[in-house]
Amino acid sequence: MTKTDPDPARISPRARAPREAVESEPRHRVVVGAVLTAGIAAALTAALVHLPREHAMLPQVARQALEVALPGWKLLEPVNEVVYGTRGFDTFGETFLLLAAVISVVVLSRSREARSGYFGEDVAGLREQARIDPDEPADTDERRARAAEDAEGEDENEEERRPGTPDAESIGTPAPEKAEAMSVVVRGAMRAATPILAVTGCYLVAWGYSPGGGFPGGAVALGVVMLVYAAFGRRRIQKVVRPSLLETIELAGAALIIATEALGLALKGSFSANWLPLEPEQTIRSGGVAQLFSAGELVEVGTGLTIAVFALLAMGHDWSPDESEEEEEENGDHSEADDADQGQEARR
Amino acid sequence: MILANYLVSALLFCAGLYTVLTRRNLIKMVMGLSLMESSTYLLFISMAYRSGSTAPVLLSPPNGQSPQQLAHGNGADPVLQNFCLTAIVIGVAVTAVFLTVVVRIAQHYRTLDADEIRELRG
Repeated sequence: MTKTDPDPARISPRARAPREAVESEPRHRVVVGAVLTAGIAAALTAALVHLPREHAMLPQVARQALEVALPGWKLLEPVNEVVYGTRGFDTFGETFLLLAAVISVVVLSRSREARSGYFGEDVAGLREQARIDPDEPADTDERRARAAEDAEGEDENEEERRPGTPDAESIGTPAPEKAEAMSVVVRGAMRAATPILAVTGCYLVAWGYSPGGGFPGGAVALGVVMLVYAAFGRRRIQKVVRPSLLETIELAGAALIIATEALGLALKGSFSANWLPLEPEQTIRSGGVAQLFSAGELVEVGTGLTIAVFALLAMGHDWSPDESEEEEEENGDHSEADDADQGQEARR
Repeated sequence: MILANYLVSALLFCAGLYTVLTRRNLIKMVMGLSLMESSTYLLFISMAYRSGSTAPVLLSPPNGQSPQQLAHGNGADPVLQNFCLTAIVIGVAVTAVFLTVVVRIAQHYRTLDADEIRELRG
């Protein structure tokens, strides 16, 4: 970087401070964006006006699905029949798109700590933090910061010191609650609600002839895990919600789906064909291979979404070092904003 | 008037597109993409609707109709409802990946402003 040609990307954050203080954020290329959006809107409107409306006949694929569901699959619910039967191959691909997304999230969110749990960022950098300038005497700022840090109690003894629930804390404590779990009201409500929710999720999958299936069931499973996490804190779930276990279950679900669909190819000559005996309608096993696929999908979606959500929640604080301080010293005089900034600093 | 649903879904799509084009905050761009996704859900569900139709469930069709009669226009389109299910799952997965990337970008560049993330520029 030369002084005559400063890279605008490296102007120090303080030089940008006046712009960032404005409430409304800057918008870029408003006219171009508006023109493009108007063009897309016109094209979409022209296309949508000619779509079949509510009085049109159902398209051939829909009629095929409605006619084939009961005799062909013993399913009373054509949507399930389409998802796991007729368009099974498409759902198969979608499952592995979901798996690929979960793997991307896990890889992107993986931090440098040992991967024994989702939550480890507070201990990940302990060694490095202790090593910063051990010889340099602490100045006022640092002493104040360390005192504040100690007051926060963010050390390894904290786990033992803080109460498990807010009910154990003395009333009138000025500090914010440090308990992991929520109060007895929330915990009581969760104890009552989560079994019902969990059973509902499984019901959606097991009774495959009624609306439901693996995707909503998996979303309900994620909801149950999130509610338990919010109400009881992470220590109550960390035996179950940990990467090694969830990833194993997820890949077992994927293996179940692959086996289900591939056996159709082996036994019936076509991928995702039904190879199980069809049971009479309105029983749990009606639908044959669609039910097995749906159960595999429950495992896949439930664990996959849980892995993704907890990987996001537990992303480490891997901030890159802030370079603005040294840059100000290096090239502090190449912009008026920086000059003004430095003048202010000198006055201080 | 199912046409209103179609047009509102086009409006939602354009609102999302405009957000993505003009906003430079990465979180808001992800929100714009989510808006565009949700417009497709509205479109699929609206296209599946038939006037006076029931949910596509073959258990005890109304007024003594048979499943074959349902197939001829008296039930909602199950294939489009299936598309909507697929779209929701894909939307969740894509949003999760986007948000992870945004967090990593924020940590690496210390900004969420897409204009200041210039290392990819030629």
